[in-house]
Amino acid sequence: MEKSCTLLIHFDKGTPAIANEIKEALEGNDVPAKIDAMKKAIMLLLNGETLPQLFITIVRYVLPSEDHTVQKLLLLYLEIIEKTDARGRVLPEMILICQNLRNNLQHPNEYIRGVTLRFLCRLNETEIIEPLIPSVLQNLEHRHPFIRRNAILAVMSIYKLPQGEQLLVDAPDMIEKVLSTEQDPSAKRNAFLMLFTCAQDRATNYLLTHVDRVSEWGELLQMVVLELIRKVCRTNRGEKGKYIKIIISLLNAPSTAVIYECAGTLVSLSSAPTAIRAAANTYCQLLLSQSDNNVKLIVLDRLNELKSSHRDIMVDMIMDVLRALSSPNLDIRRKTLDIVLELITPRNISEVVLMLKKEVVKTQSGELEKNGEYRQMLIQAIHSCAIKFPEVASTVVHLLMDFLGDSNVASAIDVVVFVREIIETNPKLRVSIITRLLDTFYQIRAARVCSCALWIIGEYCLSLSEVESGIATIKQCLGELPFYSVSEEGEATDTSKKTPQANSITVSSRRPAILADGTYATQSAASETAFSPPAIVQGSLASGNLRSLLLTGDFFLGAVVACTLTKLILRLEEVQPSKVEVNKATTQALLIMVSMLQLGQSSVLPHPIDNDSYDRIVLCMRLLCNTGDEIRKIWLQSCRQSFVKMLSEKQLRETEELKAKAQVSHAQPDDLIDFYHLKSRKGMSQLELEDEVQDDLKRATGEFVKDADDANKLNRILQLTGFSDPVYAEAYVTVHHYDIVLDVTVINRTKETLQNLCLELATMGDLKLVERPQNYTLAPESSKQIKANIKVSSTETGVIFGNIVYETSNVLERTVVVLNDIHIDIMDYISPAVCTDAAFRTMWAEFEWENKVAVNTVIQDEKEFLDHIIKSTNMKCLTAPSALDGECGFLAANLYAKSVFGEDALVNVSIEKQADGKLSGYIRIRSKTQGIALSLGDKITLKQKGGS
Amino acid sequence: MVVLAASIISKSGKVLVSRQFVDMTRIRIEGLLAAFPKLVGTGKQHTYVETENVRYVYQPIEALYLLLVTNKQSNILEDLETLRLLSKLVPEYSYSLDEEGIGKTAFELIFAFDEVICLGHKENVTVAQVKQYCEMESHEEKLHKLVLQSKINETKDVMKRKASEIEKSKIDKNRGDKGGFMSMGSGRIESSFSDVSISSSGSGFGSGSAFGLTTEVDSFSTKPKGRQPSSATAPPKGLGMQLGKTQKTNQFLASLKAEGELIVEDVQPKAGQSRVAAPPPTDPITLTAEEKLNVTLKRDGGISNFDVQGTLSLQILNQEDGLIQVQIENGSNPGILFKTHPNMNKELFSNENILGLKDPNRPFPTGPAGDAAGVGLLKWRMQSADESMVPLSINCWPSVSGNETYVSIEYEASSMFDLRNVVISVPLPALREAPNIRQIDGEWRYDSRNSTLEWSILLIDNSNRSGSLEFVVPPADSSAFFPISVRFSATSIYSDLKVVNVIPLRGGAPPKFAQRTNLITENYQVV
Repeated sequence: MEKSCTLLIHFDKGTPAIANEIKEALEGNDVPAKIDAMKKAIMLLLNGETLPQLFITIVRYVLPSEDHTVQKLLLLYLEIIEKTDARGRVLPEMILICQNLRNNLQHPNEYIRGVTLRFLCRLNETEIIEPLIPSVLQNLEHRHPFIRRNAILAVMSIYKLPQGEQLLVDAPDMIEKVLSTEQDPSAKRNAFLMLFTCAQDRATNYLLTHVDRVSEWGELLQMVVLELIRKVCRTNRGEKGKYIKIIISLLNAPSTAVIYECAGTLVSLSSAPTAIRAAANTYCQLLLSQSDNNVKLIVLDRLNELKSSHRDIMVDMIMDVLRALSSPNLDIRRKTLDIVLELITPRNISEVVLMLKKEVVKTQSGELEKNGEYRQMLIQAIHSCAIKFPEVASTVVHLLMDFLGDSNVASAIDVVVFVREIIETNPKLRVSIITRLLDTFYQIRAARVCSCALWIIGEYCLSLSEVESGIATIKQCLGELPFYSVSEEGEATDTSKKTPQANSITVSSRRPAILADGTYATQSAASETAFSPPAIVQGSLASGNLRSLLLTGDFFLGAVVACTLTKLILRLEEVQPSKVEVNKATTQALLIMVSMLQLGQSSVLPHPIDNDSYDRIVLCMRLLCNTGDEIRKIWLQSCRQSFVKMLSEKQLRETEELKAKAQVSHAQPDDLIDFYHLKSRKGMSQLELEDEVQDDLKRATGEFVKDADDANKLNRILQLTGFSDPVYAEAYVTVHHYDIVLDVTVINRTKETLQNLCLELATMGDLKLVERPQNYTLAPESSKQIKANIKVSSTETGVIFGNIVYETSNVLERTVVVLNDIHIDIMDYISPAVCTDAAFRTMWAEFEWENKVAVNTVIQDEKEFLDHIIKSTNMKCLTAPSALDGECGFLAANLYAKSVFGEDALVNVSIEKQADGKLSGYIRIRSKTQGIALSLGDKITLKQKGGS
Repeated sequence: MVVLAASIISKSGKVLVSRQFVDMTRIRIEGLLAAFPKLVGTGKQHTYVETENVRYVYQPIEALYLLLVTNKQSNILEDLETLRLLSKLVPEYSYSLDEEGIGKTAFELIFAFDEVICLGHKENVTVAQVKQYCEMESHEEKLHKLVLQSKINETKDVMKRKASEIEKSKIDKNRGDKGGFMSMGSGRIESSFSDVSISSSGSGFGSGSAFGLTTEVDSFSTKPKGRQPSSATAPPKGLGMQLGKTQKTNQFLASLKAEGELIVEDVQPKAGQSRVAAPPPTDPITLTAEEKLNVTLKRDGGISNFDVQGTLSLQILNQEDGLIQVQIENGSNPGILFKTHPNMNKELFSNENILGLKDPNRPFPTGPAGDAAGVGLLKWRMQSADESMVPLSINCWPSVSGNETYVSIEYEASSMFDLRNVVISVPLPALREAPNIRQIDGEWRYDSRNSTLEWSILLIDNSNRSGSLEFVVPPADSSAFFPISVRFSATSIYSDLKVVNVIPLRGGAPPKFAQRTNLITENYQVV
């Protein structure tokens, strides 16, 4: 068992205090110097020095000191010194301090008594405590509450010691007596706590005797009462009937902390709908009444837990939960929306959507800075409502379409994606949506929103009037042709023809963007930045939105415009009886396309048109000149079909996820079965009650160790020295969250005694040794277990080097055995995680460190290679499996993982199958810190070969 | 509801001060604190971070974080309260809120943290209280020092006086030897007298102040005693909840019941009073004669005090039985003086040995079954210096041999009584372990806290009128084994008081009555 650590103080190594100096100061009479020396001594001790010679000095010169601060520091000192020898027996010199402690316990100064009693709470050595017990007990009746308080705690800690029950046989009796007469709330709480931990039945007895006065008790005591109730009911489920009344009476307590605790207790005690409802109500009240964001968030967490266990009850509370949206904090709003979205039923959907709509309208009026993000959240929420319950779509879609021209690009994109989905799934709404879209199209400012809107126009304008107004809208938004004045063209074309080479360089310098399907697309970096085109190109008319975007050089949008026009013309051919009109429209479309090409090749823009867009526009032109049935089918139907397929794919994935979730919550084979007819699921289910609190505390203090299977343990043994070395060493490495434990077994293989044997370790990377190495003596052919703790502070591959140094009796010089290096694997620190596409993109753009690894593998199949990478890096593939299907010879996928320190690791795999069957391409790793990018890159380089 | 640690760390992640309130290893706490700066995000509007196992609640203070590490079940409202208090305390103790300032006042901060959180539980304190606790300014200590000082002064004065007396007596002696000059001597005496008077007034002042102070201390220490009954006597009411309950909670309970929850309405503590006193009388009329023994025996034989006090009490269950008279018969012990209750008819008693009320129409008061005391009718007292009256005499012989002390104790009981539940408590010098018992008639038990040896004999009758105990302890002064105290009880009493009959005043058959006699020790010591 490792020693517990009670305090940490930062120690500046720059000023090493020498033990002798401390000693001198301690021996002197100067109190401030003494205090200073004590502080230094404590800091040195904390820093790993043992200073054994100081103890006697302290006993002789510090113990008798009258000064209070010195006495308090002395207690701290006693708290941290080693009080036992290697075998766990108390050192004989410790008896020397007993007298002093006893004097302190009878000191006229009540505070000295109090702090000494508090110190006893942290003492584990029975031998020291035993002679002090009578003095401790005397203090139970002291008139000063400060002393009584601490005396009770001291009694509790002594009683809890292994032999405590023999030391203090009648402690529960005494404390019970104290409890009955005690007036100080804190002392009363401590007394009750003592009974609670040491003699539970007495505590319950006391509680039940004073059941009617519980509501008048102090807040602190009430908290312990609730804790007691939880514990009693956990062990003895039949008893809970007695306690529910107490909880209900406490629900009206003045202290919010108590109320919160009550609700928690109620939930853990009962799953009867009334109880859950009461708890949920309490939480909702806290949610509204507390202004602190932390409280709100944690209460929302609790509600979320309630939601997953008792959804049917929470459904009724949905409007109360929604009220939390009034908080300006985005995190709170997000959590609230998350909870609410899962509680929607056909009955409450209209109410919820009404509320959400109101909130959306509110964001328009207020000028808060986060409004845009909030609106985006609301729109997403409405979106998912509309998907679940298509009937509400009609009520919200028009409202949302007002936001197409929103300056917040993200929310506008959300809206347009929403519209795209609704128009497909709700054919009834098609006409109204199209009309509306055509009306508001000119307001759209962002290129990405524009292109999506154009696609909708191209796909869903079906009737003659719609097609015609569609073409008209686009034309209007493009403004007057040509895009720049002819007079300049003569000079411009010359220059543009001379500099294609230079231009192509600038093209390649553009930042590549990843499309939703994981492929790279070349997109002009300027498209989303506000860019004011030169005035000469502006044309004579006040230009539409498409025009200004085109003039910033966004030719991808140009290609989209061209495609949309092509689609509309093809459709016009079907619905327009008059050939003349069709031809007229065709020529106009062709003119627009040609102008765009011209603009692209002119020198008035900093960047010429990119090849992809150029090809696409040219293709559209060819098509319009030379139409055919085959082509028409592709353009007018296949697009829509693949969109439908995408939607159904998405739905399928969602249902699968739901199914997977549902599978998890199914009962385990060894669960208790609740028979519906005998007693419905209203008893406490054993699972949720398993000593939750205790485990929680244990986990938090790190006491809780999951027992890994031993076979696994044996796999991770590292041999550190050779078999023929005089000292054989092997290590078992356990990686915890923030620390690494090396369990080193050292075996003396010689026939001599090795003295001052020392395991010296050094580290590379973000690792730090916690303790100084100690010296051991190793008998011939005996072995020793040495434990070393290493602290880790970030995710990266670390290396631990080491030596074993020892002396033998006849040779005085030290012998050194160098150990094998121990590599700490990064894989122990990262775990697969999920993030949204958009988040991935923003992180990809933000992160500074990129590591690019060229693919070099024997694996022939793209899919197989990706699986191999996923498996060897322990990451999660964000790209949907459907997008990876098919045999097209290339593959692009995004992987994501998170470290225990909360760092993100992004990986993009882009590979192509060469003609000779080999895979080529790159794996790019991006992260915020260099460590992850480097170590992950190394890992991939090492593993990607595959084959084995 | 447990705070694992309260810490201050710099924004760069350096741990400046950390105080842990539960047992945890150093590596664990260092790991937790090292992970924190990485977990805390920027631009968030809340100040807590949750990981798999713990929750951090923090507050930025200039270039530092004040941080509480709690478990995840912890009550956030309470933790925030604690954090708020700590954040008020930190600037009180550390004048500059940077690494250096905190480093300088690290210990003071730890002391302050200790006052706010106790074993992980929050204390209800204010900033002012914490400051007061940390300053440790104690009125009592000052008093104590004053008392000590005055005692020292007093002793010094006494010393001076003694010294002058000795000197004087020396001179007197010299005088006497020489034949003495009275006039000179008287002058000398006068001067020394004035000396004494000054010093005595000085000491008088000293003792006077000391007296005043000690009384003050006394009055303090009696306070808790005065406080006790107020809360102890509050009667437990089982129905209070019912009264306070509103209609709403009733509905709540009803609906809970309807849903299958088991609600116990009237909750009584199940473990009742374990202390069962004498079984309540079941007879309609009970007469109890009880004698209490106050005996002090000298350790080397002889009685220094022997005193028996007796009472006869009457207990009537039903009011209709109240009109009675009691015919008694007292033994012919001349040393016993009887005294009746003022309401008794004295003549009737002295003439006919009948106890009855002065007003024959008034009934005796009746009492409920639980009230064991009854009504006192008669009191008597007996004193004696006769050693043969002592029911149990104790002989204790400590003898030192080598570095051990052998103690042998024997008792001798007079044949007058059969004694029950005899316990002889012998005080021992402070011992680390139980004494070594060589020989014993009966049983023994060592009470280490009071450091006494209890020798118990269930019954002393004709079969064991005498017995002995022998044990060995480390060397000790023989006076350490005194005073020995003895407890026992017996069913016969010194005054052979007997109730012959109960006479109903209204006529009819004499009602049934029960008679009890009881002899107990009140204070029975060997000094």
